[in-house]
Amino acid sequence: MNDIKNLSFFGICLAFVVIALGAWTRLVDAGLGCPDWPGCYGFIVFPTNEAEIALAESRFPMFPYDINKAIPEVVHRYFAAALGLLAIALVYFSFKQSENKNIRAWTIGLLIFICCQGLFGYLTVSLKLLPIIVTGHLFGGFTTLTLFFLIFLKAGNFQILNKMTIPNLKTIAGVALFVLIIQIFLGVWTSTNYASLACADFPTCQGSYLPDMDFKNGFNLNQEVGPNYLYGLLDNPSRVAVHYSHRVSALIVTLVFLILMSKLWFSNAAPLASSLGILLLTQISLGIINVVYVLPLYVAIAHNLVAALLLLTVFLINYLAWKK
Amino acid sequence: MKLLRSYYLLCKPNVVYMMLICALVGMLLAEDSVSSISTIIVALLGIALCSGSAAAINQVIDRNADAAMTRTDQRPLPQGELSAFHASSFAFVIGVIGALILYFYINTLTMVLTLASLIGYAFVYTVYLKRATPQNIVIGGLAGAAPPLLGWAAISNTVDPYALLLVLIIFVWTPPHFWALAIYRKDEYAKESIPMLPVTHGVAFTKLQIVLYTIILFIVSVLPYIVLMSGIVYLISAIILSSIFMYYSIKLYLSDDDAIAMKTFNFSIYYIFLIFIALLLDHYLI
Repeated sequence: MNDIKNLSFFGICLAFVVIALGAWTRLVDAGLGCPDWPGCYGFIVFPTNEAEIALAESRFPMFPYDINKAIPEVVHRYFAAALGLLAIALVYFSFKQSENKNIRAWTIGLLIFICCQGLFGYLTVSLKLLPIIVTGHLFGGFTTLTLFFLIFLKAGNFQILNKMTIPNLKTIAGVALFVLIIQIFLGVWTSTNYASLACADFPTCQGSYLPDMDFKNGFNLNQEVGPNYLYGLLDNPSRVAVHYSHRVSALIVTLVFLILMSKLWFSNAAPLASSLGILLLTQISLGIINVVYVLPLYVAIAHNLVAALLLLTVFLINYLAWKK
Repeated sequence: MKLLRSYYLLCKPNVVYMMLICALVGMLLAEDSVSSISTIIVALLGIALCSGSAAAINQVIDRNADAAMTRTDQRPLPQGELSAFHASSFAFVIGVIGALILYFYINTLTMVLTLASLIGYAFVYTVYLKRATPQNIVIGGLAGAAPPLLGWAAISNTVDPYALLLVLIIFVWTPPHFWALAIYRKDEYAKESIPMLPVTHGVAFTKLQIVLYTIILFIVSVLPYIVLMSGIVYLISAIILSSIFMYYSIKLYLSDDDAIAMKTFNFSIYYIFLIFIALLLDHYLI
């Protein structure tokens, strides 16, 4: 059981790294850094010397080689693969060391899910960054992280958490998880449609609280991709619509979280309430900094990671609220 | 009237006054001579409201633990004078007002730093660190050491290396100050299973740590002279004060009498107060 606990904790950490690397790949526009999959221009790692680069470019004449974009893509792939190996090890230990059928089922589920996630990674490349696929890929990453976290909670059987009883929170905790997932979707949609800078001012957007927006086109999930979707294809009002939705939704999330936090605060779960509060404050600040300082790379990556932390926190609250 | 007094006590006035003095010294040292008294007063008000808010939040979170310790069971929440809801609302309101004052009348930097130390003390320290590790007050001490930096930032709108040096002095001073008290109150902390150093590592080890920290404090306290921030008046004061503190800590180390722990604790309060007075005297005399 201890091996499962330690391995799943390592899995949580590694999943964070993979999410950060994925965000990095997206933010330096390296999603198509390798036009093929699983190799990179037919190489196991990536082409480095001139002869290799010449060979690579002869293999994919349509895709000029840029080592600065190949590196993030390849590093992300190998770290993600390591996560898959970790899931295999977890399945092995769950059968060898645990009689708990529940944990066995979750580790197998995790392994299958990570395989699907790899497939999604392949689809992002082969479908040239189709927004709905890229969005699904990030959701898959967050789900993988949450599964590792769930296995860690089940294997750890933590006393502190068993002692913590939070009554009558099922509804509000469920609503908080729901609005958070919507908000994460909108955030990813903003990123995959290159709409982060559609509003360069805050709190107004393009100088107005109600800018010109095109929701129908902005949220059309069956977009035309063209030759590829790098740098996005939406027109300006559509991007503004996507970006603006993420901001309004952030307000809704904040309100719901404030209610949840006050309930937790007064039912002796102050640690959960303050974790949620600190993360929420950090996340809003990072979001504002992203807009005002024109998407600094590390801030944008941190915005992804704090979103993942918020998801785990709200998941934990639901786990506690719903457990028998 | 009694209610007013409860709200006043909720803010831990003694601690807040000490922090305000440290912040004031930061403000006065930030410039050669006072350029705007109103700025100083407004900034102190903002910092006071935020520190009071942090203290109130701390008391809300710790209300059950406070009720079980004789040192703290007279506080308004354990006494039932205020409900957790009222105390929380009060803390929220004065915290927001304090932050808004700093934002609109002082500068954004001061507001951010003040809020960061509020969160550091009220949430990170009280909620997690306090019950997580015997290094709780060492790490948490960073939030308590912030006032000179806040004061300095309110005047100069920068994070000044000299201000950080003042923070360092309070930061190094906090462990021996707090652990002296913790030795005296060891049993109460043990009962509440708060992992204070004397509870987890024994009194002898804690006394050794106090001695070591006062040695570091001696060195740190003369740094303002070495980096040409202060002059000879401060240097002499710092050497005398630090020597007395070391004398107390060594005496505590060699003795089995817990009363000396309380004396050391009391002196540590005078120490930090007098060190800052010395900084001021030096600043204006020379």
